[in-house]
Amino acid sequence: MTSWLRRYDLNPANAAVLIFLWVFFIVFMLYPLGYVFTNAFFTAEGFSLVFMKLMFTSPNYTIILANSVNLGLAVTLFTTLLSLPLALLLVRYNFPGKEFLNGLILIPMVLPPFVGAIGMRQLLARFGSINLLLLEMGVISQPIDWLGGGSFWGVVILEALHLYPIMYLNLAAALANVDPSLEEAAKNMGANSFKLFSTVTFPLMLPGYFAGAVIVFIWAFTDLGAPLVFEYREVVAVQIFNMVTDLHQNPMGYAFVVAVIALTLFFFYLSKRILGGGRYEMLGRGHVASATRSASASMTVIAYGVVLGISALALIPHLGVLLTSVTKRWFLSVLPSDYTFQFYQDVFSHDLALLSIKNSLLLSSLSTIIDVVLGVTIAYLLARKRVPGRGVLDALAMLPLALPGLVLAFGYVAAFSATPLDARVNPVPLLVIAYAVRRLPYMVRAAYAGFQQTSVALEEAAINLGASPMKTLYQITMPLIFANLIAGAVLSFSFAMLEVSDSLILASKEQYYPITKAIYALLGRIADGPYIASAMGTLGLLLLAGSLFIAGRFFGRRMGELFRA
Amino acid sequence: MGSVKFESVSKILGQSRAVNNLTLDIGAEELFFLLGPSGCGKTTTLRLVAGFYTPDEGRILFDGQDQSRVPPHKRNTGMVFQNYALWPHMDVRSNVAYGLKMRHVSEAEKEKRVRHALEIVHMQAYAERMPNQLSGGQQQRVALARALVIEPDVVLLDEPLSNLDAKLRVEMRTQIKDIHRKIGRTMIYVTHDQAEALSMADRIAVMRRGRLVQTGTPHELYTRPESAFVAEFIGGTNLLRGTLEEVGDLLTVKTQAGIVRAKNGVKRMARGEPVFCSVRPESLRLKPAAESSGIPPSDATNELLAEVQSIMYLGDNEQYSLRLADGAIVRAVEYNPTTRKAQVGDRLALQFDTQAVVVLPQEELSD
Repeated sequence: MTSWLRRYDLNPANAAVLIFLWVFFIVFMLYPLGYVFTNAFFTAEGFSLVFMKLMFTSPNYTIILANSVNLGLAVTLFTTLLSLPLALLLVRYNFPGKEFLNGLILIPMVLPPFVGAIGMRQLLARFGSINLLLLEMGVISQPIDWLGGGSFWGVVILEALHLYPIMYLNLAAALANVDPSLEEAAKNMGANSFKLFSTVTFPLMLPGYFAGAVIVFIWAFTDLGAPLVFEYREVVAVQIFNMVTDLHQNPMGYAFVVAVIALTLFFFYLSKRILGGGRYEMLGRGHVASATRSASASMTVIAYGVVLGISALALIPHLGVLLTSVTKRWFLSVLPSDYTFQFYQDVFSHDLALLSIKNSLLLSSLSTIIDVVLGVTIAYLLARKRVPGRGVLDALAMLPLALPGLVLAFGYVAAFSATPLDARVNPVPLLVIAYAVRRLPYMVRAAYAGFQQTSVALEEAAINLGASPMKTLYQITMPLIFANLIAGAVLSFSFAMLEVSDSLILASKEQYYPITKAIYALLGRIADGPYIASAMGTLGLLLLAGSLFIAGRFFGRRMGELFRA
Repeated sequence: MGSVKFESVSKILGQSRAVNNLTLDIGAEELFFLLGPSGCGKTTTLRLVAGFYTPDEGRILFDGQDQSRVPPHKRNTGMVFQNYALWPHMDVRSNVAYGLKMRHVSEAEKEKRVRHALEIVHMQAYAERMPNQLSGGQQQRVALARALVIEPDVVLLDEPLSNLDAKLRVEMRTQIKDIHRKIGRTMIYVTHDQAEALSMADRIAVMRRGRLVQTGTPHELYTRPESAFVAEFIGGTNLLRGTLEEVGDLLTVKTQAGIVRAKNGVKRMARGEPVFCSVRPESLRLKPAAESSGIPPSDATNELLAEVQSIMYLGDNEQYSLRLADGAIVRAVEYNPTTRKAQVGDRLALQFDTQAVVVLPQEELSD
């Protein structure tokens, strides 16, 4: 027993912290998930697969599952098509301004599609800007029904334009890891460029591609905001959202959530199998020569063209939001005919808008504080201490990456109803915790990266010279990882401000609405609702852009690493 | 002041005993070296002194006081880390002053001692610089000053020169030795570089696989190794495999290549025991085989026949690789080679004194 304990750095303080973390994860992650599972499989009569069976047999439900799967597949396909050329151009070629383009590619990822959807709806409407522009140019003679057929393609386009940076990051990393000598060997054997790519390069990139594809698929599958705004209701996410209100009458919600979890786990398991199988482990890793070459002038032009073109496409929805927010009159014209800043004033005088901004600031600040404290603690234990259950702690801290916000929020509503934390009485505690849990992985990663870059010897040097462990933490470690902490905190905060699915599900009363739920509520109002919503959306985008700029300054080029699988 | 004593100390890291039953006395004001191949436990031993590890068995005493359970920040040791570990967010002055700040030394006194420490390492002009504005050698000196300024009982140096280029490394050897003489404090110095240890140490402890193999002055270790491992590790040697035939004033060993007689050997070896004869390359004299009578010229000399395999000219010396009658390869060194003594393929007689041979028990050498 003692020799077993001696393998760990356990003192009373460490043990207490560890126990606290375990309790936190059990109460706010494992218990809600377990609750959902139990309710999906147990009725008053005991264990039952009736809901599962219903989900897979009843045509009403199978169509919903099929829609969501199709949505996920379509978005994955489109993101692949968008990001593969980007990765090939930017990883393999050097040209002036490459860093700038690299940054540009990442922007759409952080612009919430929920906000973009408002603008997209405006632009793609039957007599919206796109159709009018095409009519004017004589490309078409009849307006095209872009959003017809249940708005499926609208959602696909919007999410693809939002998610392709994630795919790009994974593909670029995978491509950069392909040992150039393997490609040279293929060229030496006489493979042409196309053969080389299809038989050597892409197969070697597959694990990385698959990792990205899984994230994109799950994200699209569980995204709530975009389908809601496009009123594409026959998907799993929207169904779960609707079922929250009558949890106790209709347990199908549990079944759907279990389906989402099962699917998520399955895909992540699959990607780990492919990634961890070692099948593609390169021999003699670690001295991979750079395979980048200088781009010719024409290649540079192509690279700029492709990146700027795709980025412009991705920014169109957000441009739509911006235009809507300053529109006084926009009817049957490509661009608004009259502009006004009235709605920005309204944001700060309108009761709901103003209240929601205050709510969001409070909720996000609290959740960020929790994230910083928990994130630094967990990262410290993982990076610096040998603690029992280290692997499990790591897995739990990273689990929210794979846990859709929808699932978490649904679990919270269900598991904590009729407790002091009941979201229908006062959603503030659960909102704060949901925000915190959702963004915890980013904070842990940011802090962990800081600890990793900071050599233990720097801390030991201080202790050796007489500084107590606490003093060392404050005088040496903290200042050295400060940049990482700021970057992580800023990201946590700004994402919490624009968190969609948990806000929509958890915030039950108007007095507690955060920004996103207020935007959603305003969209439904006639008259000035959508315009104020757009103004709020624009302000949200500005906040996000500003905070990402700050985070980027602190984090530098490594920021992309936070978003990889 | 500053003696360090290990009493049967063991440290278990993971599954293995990184340090195994180590008993060692390091005298006050000694420049003491821990030498061994990587993974031999020398750095673990150093970290046990610093207190970053606590012993799983045994005790560590400073000046007779048990330190085994004293946390590292309460032990008065000054460590120089392999990668220097200068805090990148503090300038040179703050780095050096840090330990004094922890000891609540008054401002005036602190100022004086920091200046003095920087003077010792010739870095007084760089007090305002940030660590990333210094070269490797300069960082090394600052790290040394930072460890010295607190006037530690023991200075600990963990491969301090391994990140420097070859020329600077040799320069710094002299400087560190000078500093040791000036400040007169116990220094424990970890290295895997035997040349560094031989040239600097008062005494050396050679470690292997967590165990202490031999302790002694550089001269003792080089001339009287007690194991084939030490003979091979310190300076490099030829090990001729054979059987011990006679024990007496002279040890007689029968090898496949011929009889070898030796003046020195490890005690308690019995007749018939398989042994190694250790002969340093520089002890071998090369004579044309034609000049040899086939009998050693005197009782104090051995002679074996060999054929030249290859010759490597290195300027100040020439290294010969020779094949003995039994096929074993030996190395010989000719210093100050003005004319070439032999060509590849030549047959030579190798002569070496019985005084230069050490007979050692056979052991497995690959680590």
